[in-house]
Amino acid sequence: MADIETRTAGPTLAVAAETINTEQRSQLRLALARFVRHRLAVASLVVLLLVVGFAFIGSMVWPYDHTVTRGVPSSVAPSWDHPFGTTTAGQDVMGQVMRGTQQSLKVALTVAVISTTFGALWGAIAGLYRGWVDNLMMRIVDVILVVPLLVLVTAVAGNVRGGTTWWAVALVIAAFIWTGTSRVVRGVVLSLREQEFVEASRAMGSTDSRIIVRHLIPNAAGPIIVAGTLAVAFAILAEAALSFLGFGIQPPDTSLGLLIETARTAPFTRPWLFYPPGMFIILICLTINFIGDGLRDALDPRQTMVRR
Amino acid sequence: MNPRRRLTRPTRWPVVAVALAAALAFSACAGDDPGDAVGQPGFDDCAENPNTCNSGERDDGGSITWLVVSKPTGWNAYSPEGGSVYTLQMLHGIYPHTGMFAPDRETYLFNMDLFAAEPELLSEDPQSWQYVLRDEAVWDDGTPISADDFVVSWKLGTSPEQGHCDGCRSRATAPYDRVESIEGSADGKTVTVTMKEGEYDPEWFGFLNVDSIAGGLMPAHVAEQNGFDVDDPVQLGGYFEWLQANMPTFSGGPYRIVEGDFENQVIKEPNENWYGEIDPTLETYIIRVIDDQGAWVPALANDEIHGGAPIQLNEDVVSGIRELPNVYSHIHPGPSWEHIDFNIDVPAFQDVELRRAIFTAIDVDDIASRNFGEMFPDYTLRTNHVFSADSPYHVDHVTETGQGSGDTEAALAILENAGYELDGTTLTLDGEQVGPFRLRATADQARVTSMELIQSYLAEVGIEIIIETTDDLGGMLGEQDYDIAQFGWSGSPLFVGTAAQQWMTGSGSNFGNYSNPEVDRLVTQELTATTQDEAAEIANQAMEVLVQDAYVLPMYDSPVFIFASDGYVNVRDNTGESVRGVYNNHEWGTAVQ
Amino acid sequence: MVVYAARRLLAAIPVLLAASVFCFVLIDISGDPLADLRFLEPPPEPEVIAAEEARLYLDRSMPERYLLWMTGIGGNGDIGLLQGRFGPSVRGPGFDIADEIAARFLVTLRLVVIALLLAIGLAVISGVISAVRQYSAVDYTLTFVGFLALAMPAFWIGALIKEGGVWSNQQFGTGFATIGAASADTREYDAWQLFTDTAAHLILPTLALMLTAYAALSRYQRASMLEVLNSDYVRLARAKGLRNRIVVRRHALRTALIPLATVSALLVAGTIDGAILIERVFQWRGLGDFFLDSVSRNDSYSVMGWLMLSGIIVIAANLVADLLYAVLDPRIRYG
Repeated sequence: MADIETRTAGPTLAVAAETINTEQRSQLRLALARFVRHRLAVASLVVLLLVVGFAFIGSMVWPYDHTVTRGVPSSVAPSWDHPFGTTTAGQDVMGQVMRGTQQSLKVALTVAVISTTFGALWGAIAGLYRGWVDNLMMRIVDVILVVPLLVLVTAVAGNVRGGTTWWAVALVIAAFIWTGTSRVVRGVVLSLREQEFVEASRAMGSTDSRIIVRHLIPNAAGPIIVAGTLAVAFAILAEAALSFLGFGIQPPDTSLGLLIETARTAPFTRPWLFYPPGMFIILICLTINFIGDGLRDALDPRQTMVRR
Repeated sequence: MNPRRRLTRPTRWPVVAVALAAALAFSACAGDDPGDAVGQPGFDDCAENPNTCNSGERDDGGSITWLVVSKPTGWNAYSPEGGSVYTLQMLHGIYPHTGMFAPDRETYLFNMDLFAAEPELLSEDPQSWQYVLRDEAVWDDGTPISADDFVVSWKLGTSPEQGHCDGCRSRATAPYDRVESIEGSADGKTVTVTMKEGEYDPEWFGFLNVDSIAGGLMPAHVAEQNGFDVDDPVQLGGYFEWLQANMPTFSGGPYRIVEGDFENQVIKEPNENWYGEIDPTLETYIIRVIDDQGAWVPALANDEIHGGAPIQLNEDVVSGIRELPNVYSHIHPGPSWEHIDFNIDVPAFQDVELRRAIFTAIDVDDIASRNFGEMFPDYTLRTNHVFSADSPYHVDHVTETGQGSGDTEAALAILENAGYELDGTTLTLDGEQVGPFRLRATADQARVTSMELIQSYLAEVGIEIIIETTDDLGGMLGEQDYDIAQFGWSGSPLFVGTAAQQWMTGSGSNFGNYSNPEVDRLVTQELTATTQDEAAEIANQAMEVLVQDAYVLPMYDSPVFIFASDGYVNVRDNTGESVRGVYNNHEWGTAVQ
Repeated sequence: MVVYAARRLLAAIPVLLAASVFCFVLIDISGDPLADLRFLEPPPEPEVIAAEEARLYLDRSMPERYLLWMTGIGGNGDIGLLQGRFGPSVRGPGFDIADEIAARFLVTLRLVVIALLLAIGLAVISGVISAVRQYSAVDYTLTFVGFLALAMPAFWIGALIKEGGVWSNQQFGTGFATIGAASADTREYDAWQLFTDTAAHLILPTLALMLTAYAALSRYQRASMLEVLNSDYVRLARAKGLRNRIVVRRHALRTALIPLATVSALLVAGTIDGAILIERVFQWRGLGDFFLDSVSRNDSYSVMGWLMLSGIIVIAANLVADLLYAVLDPRIRYG
């Protein structure tokens, strides 16, 4: 990434016609400007904020929550009283989706942030140092990749009972998927490290950590962001599987993934149980994806908006 | 769970004889080839005529594929790994058996294809009875079915200490260990079973019936053919393993297995040497194993399966099936009933008032109506721990106590009188919170719904409930790893002895460790009752005490359903037998167009 | 390069070992394989339980059992990976784990291989389309479809595909099957009928698995294509007047395959997981089904056997990907 800073021309140069006014713009503002030009990303950001609002603020406003309420009728299709219908036990699905979105967002975003950060650092270090460091770190990644998630989950579920927080679920899922990011980042770093700016950076006396943080990772932003968005999608479904097996979010508390799992047999017979949470999952994934696109464009000036 | 039930004594005899006569008369009326049958197609009149609904005239030929909902794990149903109701369902139709209950759950039908005359009790002390086999009864290779087969079937089920079999790993040895000897007449066609001194089995007529450990008789001649000398305990053990490993291609029933493996499908064809009255008309009869509920409806729509009788009732699966044209389906009370039990060893639950209050706060009718009220409005709530509502011995013990009514006011009243206080939204005793309690059950939809509802009911009286599903019910119950549990008992028309098994101090199925000397006295007395009426009377007395102690809250008879394509006749459910719909598979046939 | 490959292969051994230890411990603490037996009604004799424990070596400590599983020393002749035996199964003394895995391997193989190839092909094509027509309607549609396939659970995708298949059968008389790898009764089928039967059973699950695999892949593919197409040398090529098509084909595609190579290794692991779910939905008795069964029964030796196979596949895929990486990007040299 080019560190370009424009400086104002000194007042010694008198220009007869228009004075050209340039402002010093930091990299951050440049990035922000680029992001804002990406209309879809902005729109997605708005939608995501609406979803967050729906989940957190809506649940304070909406009369029904996600728990069983005796007065609520069983298994009715969407109506004015219950826009998303009700479940067999007598829960209002809209209340459930609100609560579910809260929990899923918390888990998914935490997973994405932790796993991507950790994985990116791991992969960058491995890629930069090569040699035995790379070997060791990647072999550890291999070990984790080889063990199937289900085994880990069954073991955990078999020993930890109910009442675990969403934090614990997020950690377990993140611990499993950071390996993906690390492999991708390592790949990018392997080719990046041969480029001149790395050499130049070293020549100027940068420490390794500076190289990693200031140069390598930002240049690998593309794949990292993709990995992050995929992590969100994966986390929602993985959390559902874990909760289903008894670890993590348990009834009466709910998450989008859990709602979908419970509505497993219902997509064609009682679609209101399945599609509202499903829609929200897709919405979250898509908006985060497009925001990611925008971020990528914003951070990488070579990716312009110019249509070809 | 299949608690053993006992029936008493000879005075049951006349009842059975009459029932038999009625059954025979009935089947005679229904016709040899149920062509001039009474029933209409479809399951609509199964409530009134459970034994004859969906009958019709059979066309020749055709093929049917029947659903089994879980994978059997071996061919030998004696073994712990092979022995499950799914193995029995898969293999029904190849073993000769001694009898079964009819779909009305009252009539017991001896297998008169096998017997020349009804089995008779010869003596009571020591107990012995006799079977007389028909000369025509043969295995598929022509070998006569004889006493040798009874001997082998018995020995395979015994435990190693008995000395009959070294290496047999029977999963239920008690019924067989109590047998002293089985002898045959010279021609092998008269079989006498003698029990050991002091042993009495009132359920003697169920010996080696369709619900027995392997669903019928194992062949002795196949052992000989494969080099096992059945008189040598070690070689008999070898035969046990051989049966486990090898798909049975022999048959003493209407069908014969021609190909298959127990994970995918088993293909059966009619047994040419079938000696019974009614011959199968189908050319092929396939059992298909599909353990994912979501896969049934598309498979049915796609003509890959034609019928099934699952245990689990799933609202969406039922709706899906009902939407398909050309498929009959029917929901009815099943053989098992749901209930909620306390773990009495939990300190808080030693106060009977708390238990009563909790049961009073639970609204069983609400749970039932939400779970299946839509699909099955005629559901019955269970108010007796032993007898279902249609039994002559049924007495409603529960309703008057208010347990299961969901009356929160009444529950709170009980709690207040007992010294509890509702502090805001939390129930306290002497300032300390009561609970939270772990409510556990398996993870199927109906149970999870039920637990969520219970959680809400108890929240109204200030008790916090933590829901924890389990995938190992047996382990959970055996280790008492629960505070409150919901599960089902599977029922059978025979009842004597259940009470002792479930409520006697220290008994194997008394998971919550309930103990009451009065109940102990009564249930022990029940075991020695001389008539069924007497046993029922005592059982009801025990239940009075039990209900006051609020240890078990009966909920409802779990409904089950059966579905079948309309291209077939004589397919119907039999909730008196664990094999369910396949109980009469030799009577099935394609419908005449 | 050869040295590198050899070193990687050597390194694979401690990886597999570490993974096996990790897995063994996890399975062991998951639960009791004999729970079902212990709580049968009526409960079996203590001798029966003790005999089962001895047969499954549960009477020994965990480290002992692991060593036994690995070496077979001190066992009854049915265990010892280094001796080529996988150990006894909870499913009974007659159950041979190796035989079972081998038989099911072929079943799963045809499902996974075809789905994977289709997914990779589809991802490459759609990635190219998306990148070349960035921000167009086609791009957005493909993105949406990709996420739909990614975020929606396998059972839903499977159910939709089945509905589609059944509908197609009813409308057009096609012969798609929704359950199993083959029809129930194939005794009278000749070779051609067997082939069409297998194909009829293969189409729907392959479609489902392909979609799940394609989803993740397409995201990386699109991103990497975008990177490349905006890079300097591509711009130069365009500036020189080369047609877009040639630019894409000659320069960009090759470089865009690099992250694909990296991700493909993950993809293999992911497809194995996907196959587990798809096999359940479509009732295939393959390795995925075997795995699910074994985990639910706490059958440690079966799971370990499965794990060794899947572990070798994943590690091999990783190695191939890394080697491909060096081939595709001449700037990378392995020392």
